[in-house]
Amino acid sequence: MDWLRELARRLSMLMHRRQFDADLEEEVRLHLELRQEERLESGMTANEARAAARRRFGNATYLKEESRIAWGWEWFENLAQDVHHGARMLRKSPGFTAVAILTLALGIGANTAIFSVINGVLLSPLPYKNPKQLVVIKENDSLPNVMDIQRQTRAFSQGGGINVEKMDYIGATEPVQVRVGLIDEGFLETLGVQPMLGRIISSGEDVQGGPRLAMVSNHFWQNYLGSDPHAAGNTIQLGGNSYTVIGVMPASFALPAEHADVFVSLMVRDPGAGAERDLHFMHTYWRLKAGVTLAQAQADMAAIDRRLAEQYPAEEKERKSQLVPLHEWLVGDVRAALLVLFGAVGLVLLIACANFASLLMMRAVAERQELVIRAALGAGRGRLVRKTLTQSLLLSVFGGAAGLLFAKWGTSLLLALRPEELARLSGIHMDTRVLLFVLVISVLTGIVFGMAPAWIAARSDVAEALKKSGRSTTASTMGHNIRKILVTSELAVALVLLVGAGLLIKGFSRLRSMNPGFNSANVMTMYLQLPTTRYGEIPKQTQFRRELLTRLNSLPGVQVAMVTDIPLGGNYVGHRFVIDGRSPVAVGGEPKVQTLSVMGDYFHVMQIPLRVGRDFTPLDREEQPLVAVVNEEMVREFLPHENPIGVRIRWAGDTGPPQWMTVIGVVADVKHSGLNQPTDPAVYTPFSQSDEAWRRFMTLAIRARDAAPGLVEEVKKQIWSVDSQIPVSDVHAMDELIAVSLAQQRFNMLLLGLFAVLALILAAVGIYGAMAYAVNQRTHEIGIRTALGAQRRDVLRLVMRDGAKIVLFGIASGIAGALALTRLMASLLFEVKPTDPATFAGVAILLALVALAACYIPARRAMRVDPMVALRYE
Amino acid sequence: MHRDEIPPGTLYLLILRTLARSGEMHGYEIASSIQQISEDVLRVEEGSLYPALQRMLIKGWVTAKWGTTAGNRRARYYQLTAAGRKQLAVEMSQFDRVIGAITRVIEAV
Repeated sequence: MDWLRELARRLSMLMHRRQFDADLEEEVRLHLELRQEERLESGMTANEARAAARRRFGNATYLKEESRIAWGWEWFENLAQDVHHGARMLRKSPGFTAVAILTLALGIGANTAIFSVINGVLLSPLPYKNPKQLVVIKENDSLPNVMDIQRQTRAFSQGGGINVEKMDYIGATEPVQVRVGLIDEGFLETLGVQPMLGRIISSGEDVQGGPRLAMVSNHFWQNYLGSDPHAAGNTIQLGGNSYTVIGVMPASFALPAEHADVFVSLMVRDPGAGAERDLHFMHTYWRLKAGVTLAQAQADMAAIDRRLAEQYPAEEKERKSQLVPLHEWLVGDVRAALLVLFGAVGLVLLIACANFASLLMMRAVAERQELVIRAALGAGRGRLVRKTLTQSLLLSVFGGAAGLLFAKWGTSLLLALRPEELARLSGIHMDTRVLLFVLVISVLTGIVFGMAPAWIAARSDVAEALKKSGRSTTASTMGHNIRKILVTSELAVALVLLVGAGLLIKGFSRLRSMNPGFNSANVMTMYLQLPTTRYGEIPKQTQFRRELLTRLNSLPGVQVAMVTDIPLGGNYVGHRFVIDGRSPVAVGGEPKVQTLSVMGDYFHVMQIPLRVGRDFTPLDREEQPLVAVVNEEMVREFLPHENPIGVRIRWAGDTGPPQWMTVIGVVADVKHSGLNQPTDPAVYTPFSQSDEAWRRFMTLAIRARDAAPGLVEEVKKQIWSVDSQIPVSDVHAMDELIAVSLAQQRFNMLLLGLFAVLALILAAVGIYGAMAYAVNQRTHEIGIRTALGAQRRDVLRLVMRDGAKIVLFGIASGIAGALALTRLMASLLFEVKPTDPATFAGVAILLALVALAACYIPARRAMRVDPMVALRYE
Repeated sequence: MHRDEIPPGTLYLLILRTLARSGEMHGYEIASSIQQISEDVLRVEEGSLYPALQRMLIKGWVTAKWGTTAGNRRARYYQLTAAGRKQLAVEMSQFDRVIGAITRVIEAV
């Protein structure tokens, strides 16, 4: 504890520094006086006595200094002095201070905002137990396969699957659809979630004919169960059945990729679908055993796949399960975009820092006189460097603090702009890692970019500088050269960013002008699902659909049709199929197409053009010959050399007599999965000829002549007049679905565009500053030239030539840099090459114009230099 | 008269011993006392007492408080602490060891 007491004494000395100095002063004076008196007594004169006393004492100033240093606070006092001095200098020039802080705040703020997104999305661990052990199998699978994998695996400790389905919940004010996770017993355990109330399902209950039990989300519990602490044991009506609530999930629990409010056993809810080996509809999650690597697990999985394929050749022939770490699977698509944005925003910071360094350098030259005097008076080089660095650190720390405010504002902007894929953005906030990031980045900026000016300060040659009180000392020419280099690189970096933004904008406009294959204007969509209890058989479903369409189409000015999966709605069903007359393909190896069922005048409502043949008519119905309409891609891929009309196809794997469907028409391709996604071959069939009772769902496509405000309510009323217990969900305008599908691209484009504009402004300010300063420095020279007869035009040319040289160099190196860097964003571009010449040229011209305009302002000032004033200006 | 510089490292020992002998003293008194007792052989460069005293204050070997001299002047008086007494013993035995060794080396035939 001795060191503690010692520290206390040192600290107390620090607090009472003034007193300490006074005490020491008095003590030394007393000593000298006493010695002097003693000498006087021995017969010296007063002067001799004083000199003798001093001689014996030694160098009083030095010894007092030693006494102070002994306490170990010298560094602190120097620092305090430097900070004090720095703050005074900054207060003396508020304009400079404000510009420097603002520049850095913009750079640091933008970086912090993007970093906090990256922190939240890429760096924070997933909110599950040991999240690093979690993997997904990319391909969906069926419950029998999941159970086989669970039995056979040597790599996974746990695993389970889920399929989210919408079911109607009766019990709220109007029938609502809730998202229900159909799971197996292993699913919740794999994620490691502990229920907040009650329990989760046990293996004995997860069987065919088991009790109807439900676990509900915290959200469901609050909204529909009144946050009842005794909710376990309550009964809820779900999809026409009663379920007993046995557990409530904690509020912190969310599914990794989707959303569900209720969890029930798939085997209990739908034993038919659960038992089908070839119904691959479950997302499966697996937990690696401790010490098992992904590669080992993948090898083990491949062995299981082989065994399943041998055992069930009809269903599982082409099994190929790919394992992906859960985190990677979740952020995979977003990662590239975020990293590009982070890189871009880093470049913005570089430009901001270059401006900052350039400003500091200007200051360093302006303060050189003072520094030189200090150096002449014996201030060490180290001390001078430290003093300059302290000033830049002060600025960068203030800049960082202001940047934090910008970042807070910026993150809320990001949240407002966020695309669906960045769902994890909701977890974004300023945590310690973000604050640390700001601190590190501010301090680094201050030190690294304060170094150049500090170096200039330290290199000032005292003798030379004192000789010439004028301007053109080596330090200032050197400073000027460094500034030129800084401005050139700023322009280069700005060009890189502008090219990046330009490419994204071009890609985005291509994407927007992409023909989706239908006309989205004035189309509303909504999703319905018929409950199994009353609509288990196809005739009942058909009857409901027909009745509903008849009623809806009798509304004035409205045309309604229905389809299983609406384009851009996120749902997709694919089937394998066989073409009549082709040599038979091995079972399980047949080609796949997207399959859609429609009713009503679907192609007409969506304005999907018919290319060949005919559209469905009301006569294409049950008990009639089976018919199909295919898309152009289907023809291109499978029927390229024949007339598609009249070709017969059937679904693969059908049992019983083959159900041949005759192709009656070809329609245009539709962008079903996204405007930037290729179109799959697709087959449309009439709902009424379907033999798949599980397709109890449908999406209404409603084209209204003008968007009547009460339309949605009117449609709902009609639906409920057919059946009052049909929930309606996903009510969207088709335009809205297109906007959502563009959200990620839009987000990338907006952000990079914003950064590019920021870069452009900063670079313009940078070159303006450099040129203005240069003109200022050359006022004298310009004055002489004018006095010797130079015309204004000549002066203008003189200044602009300098600026143009910088701009040209900057743009040339920027193009080189952009050529090297834009490759990295290839994955974000849609139908635009990363080296698109038009973008490069356009952006280079834009930057050149802005930069030259920035040069022109100081050049004009130079033109107006009055030779008399200039010559006196010394 | 020739006066010797004090051997390096012994300044603490001299100050501690001086204070141990006479209780409270101010800086001038310590310097004078060392000089007198050593019969003018050891003369401290008087100023160097003060940084040494500061270091001893930090270590907690001495404490200081202001008082008045016989001539009625304000002076800072230093006094040994328990830690200081312990340190004196340590320095003494160290000094004895070194002197003993030096003596042996010199007297060895």
